[in-house]
Amino acid sequence: MSLVEALKNRRYRIERLEGPEEECRRLLDLGLTPGEETSVVQAVPFGDPLVVVVRGMRIALRRREAAWIKIH
Amino acid sequence: MATLSAAPDEAESESKLDQKSKPLTACLAGVPNAGKTALMNALTGGSFHTANYPGVTVTISRGRTRPEFGPEIALIDLPGVHSARAASPEEELSCQVLEDRHPSIHPDAIISVIDATQIERHLKFASFTARRGKPVVLALTMIDLLARSGQSINASKLSEALGVSVVCVDGRTGWGAEEVISILRREVEKPASPDSALARISDDPVAAYREIREIIERSGAIKKSRPLVVAADSVTERIDRIVLNRYLGFPIFFAVLVALFASIFWAAQPGMDFVEWGFAQTGALALRLLPEGALSRFIAEGLIGGVGSVAVFFPQIIILFFLMTLLEDSGYLARGAALVDRPLSHLGLHGRSFVPMLSGFACAIPAVLAARTIPQRRERLLTIWIIPLMSCSARLPVYALLLAALLPGKAGRAGLVLAGIYISSLLVGALTAGLIGRFILRRESSSMLAMEMPLYRKPLIKPTLRITWSRSAAYLKKAGMPIILISAFLWLLSNFGPGARQPVSEDGSQPGLVAASDLDHSFAAGIGQTIEPALKPMGVDWRVGVGLISAFAAREVFVSTMAIVFHVADTEENQQAGLLENIRSATFAGTSQRVFTTSSILGLIVFFFFSLQCLSTVAVVRSETGSWKMAGLQLLFYTGLGYLLSIAVVQSLRLFGVE
Repeated sequence: MSLVEALKNRRYRIERLEGPEEECRRLLDLGLTPGEETSVVQAVPFGDPLVVVVRGMRIALRRREAAWIKIH
Repeated sequence: MATLSAAPDEAESESKLDQKSKPLTACLAGVPNAGKTALMNALTGGSFHTANYPGVTVTISRGRTRPEFGPEIALIDLPGVHSARAASPEEELSCQVLEDRHPSIHPDAIISVIDATQIERHLKFASFTARRGKPVVLALTMIDLLARSGQSINASKLSEALGVSVVCVDGRTGWGAEEVISILRREVEKPASPDSALARISDDPVAAYREIREIIERSGAIKKSRPLVVAADSVTERIDRIVLNRYLGFPIFFAVLVALFASIFWAAQPGMDFVEWGFAQTGALALRLLPEGALSRFIAEGLIGGVGSVAVFFPQIIILFFLMTLLEDSGYLARGAALVDRPLSHLGLHGRSFVPMLSGFACAIPAVLAARTIPQRRERLLTIWIIPLMSCSARLPVYALLLAALLPGKAGRAGLVLAGIYISSLLVGALTAGLIGRFILRRESSSMLAMEMPLYRKPLIKPTLRITWSRSAAYLKKAGMPIILISAFLWLLSNFGPGARQPVSEDGSQPGLVAASDLDHSFAAGIGQTIEPALKPMGVDWRVGVGLISAFAAREVFVSTMAIVFHVADTEENQQAGLLENIRSATFAGTSQRVFTTSSILGLIVFFFFSLQCLSTVAVVRSETGSWKMAGLQLLFYTGLGYLLSIAVVQSLRLFGVE
């Protein structure tokens, strides 16, 4: 499943990134790397973007971007 | 960039011989919102603009270390970079400097600024700086925030593990700044060691993050009481739960904006009264002390009166800058950007367009520069296109004067109307972007948001006041000269006339000087009356027209022009009658019909709302977009639109019987 389907405040592990190369590279640079733990902590009004915590940082991701992040 | 003019001198000073005597140059580099500029301020004693939002610095700024830190070091503050592969123009600029590809800036050493709360990501970028083969000092910032997420850091253990010097600093208070400099000097003295553990970290992000985690864990430099993924920081967590709440998010967002804009009016009143009183006294004093004649009237009415009419609004502008600085430092801006990302991206803009739009409320020029942080060209151009609509501080004196004339004695209601104007300018800007995005600038490809939400910080009073002051001073510098010059020029134009039309004065001492009541025979009248047919539909006379034209130098000049052309100085009593009373009682020449009526005031507000009366904005849009096309189009489009809509408003109001 992807980060879009994640339950709020549950901890998941990133499995892989599946999306356009350039954009995924940007997410990797931000620290969303496979094996890392992550959690969705907040959905902004309209449900988009999502606020995700990874490596102690809070990052706002559009749903489209979150969908590239496969988790388990 | 091999320009001829710079060639001989630069080549000389770059030579090996001169290298020794040249001051050391160091640059500050790091990820956006690492605290580079705050550290820059602490190191130089300067007041460069900082905020708790990623991407505040978009150009290179230079400074010199404080004298008390020993021999001078030249410092260069670089825009933040997300990764070594630059994505937006300001990131490319930083990469050019760091990789020694920049035509003129070649730093001798790098101060790599690292946010301790996001150490892994920041160390990844620091390893890129360490690979340049130059001396590197790591400056750890945000140490105070570390405790909030249950962590602590040991700088010497970290330094040992990374093989480079690490210093803890707080740029806002200046703590640790001197140590950064002394360690930097030590690093430059000793032979560079390009083989530190930091420099050996891989270039590939996945491998780099793995290696960084290994280094940190092995060193034992960071103690954490709970896993990083659970709680970044409990304070931030709690605030975000409220301000990003599904139901409360937008109401809070609009409440913050309304409070920001409305309080400009409410809070500034005592300051404004004081300034007004001060200028009135000075003007009266000048009239009393100087020998009577053209010169004393020129100084009292033209200079003191003209400048004073605009200076009255400085308290409002200072309060606007103060509140915006507070908002920027708090960390809320990034939340605002996230909140509006979805609506804005429907319009062809980006969540990151929000901050340039908001800073457009202070001034369009830095706002156009701030649009550099928007990665996609199309979204950047659209943002630049609508920035001139944002109600900048130069419009504030104009609106304040017009609203005071429209709603005399009702500061509360005027404040709310002002907030309404401000928020409408956001909405109209969004609408314009939507129309242009749909029909003219078509979508190239979808963009990314992926924006970090900084931790909330309590703004510190001293730095906030310092930045407020430096922004206000910059405003004064920019607006002051045009106001003085145009006030003087206009006074001359409206007090002197073509000789033939003047009655010869009895003693012959004031040839050509017309009495103030004879304004109709002045040069200004001559010019104004030629354009009067174009102004009639707006419901105003040529005197207001002169104001509208002079406002192209700077919008505030409209106010000082009104002060001069509507000035009736028969007696000293009238001299002290406020500008407001003068314009409220002004009538069309030869009639008893008032110039400033509900409809004509609303028409003027609409005109100022749209029209692009700022040549500096045209110039900066040209330089940011690289062509005159967009800048010229903007000027014609907005000014034409303002004119037509103003006529439409005045005429339709009159149709409904509103004078």
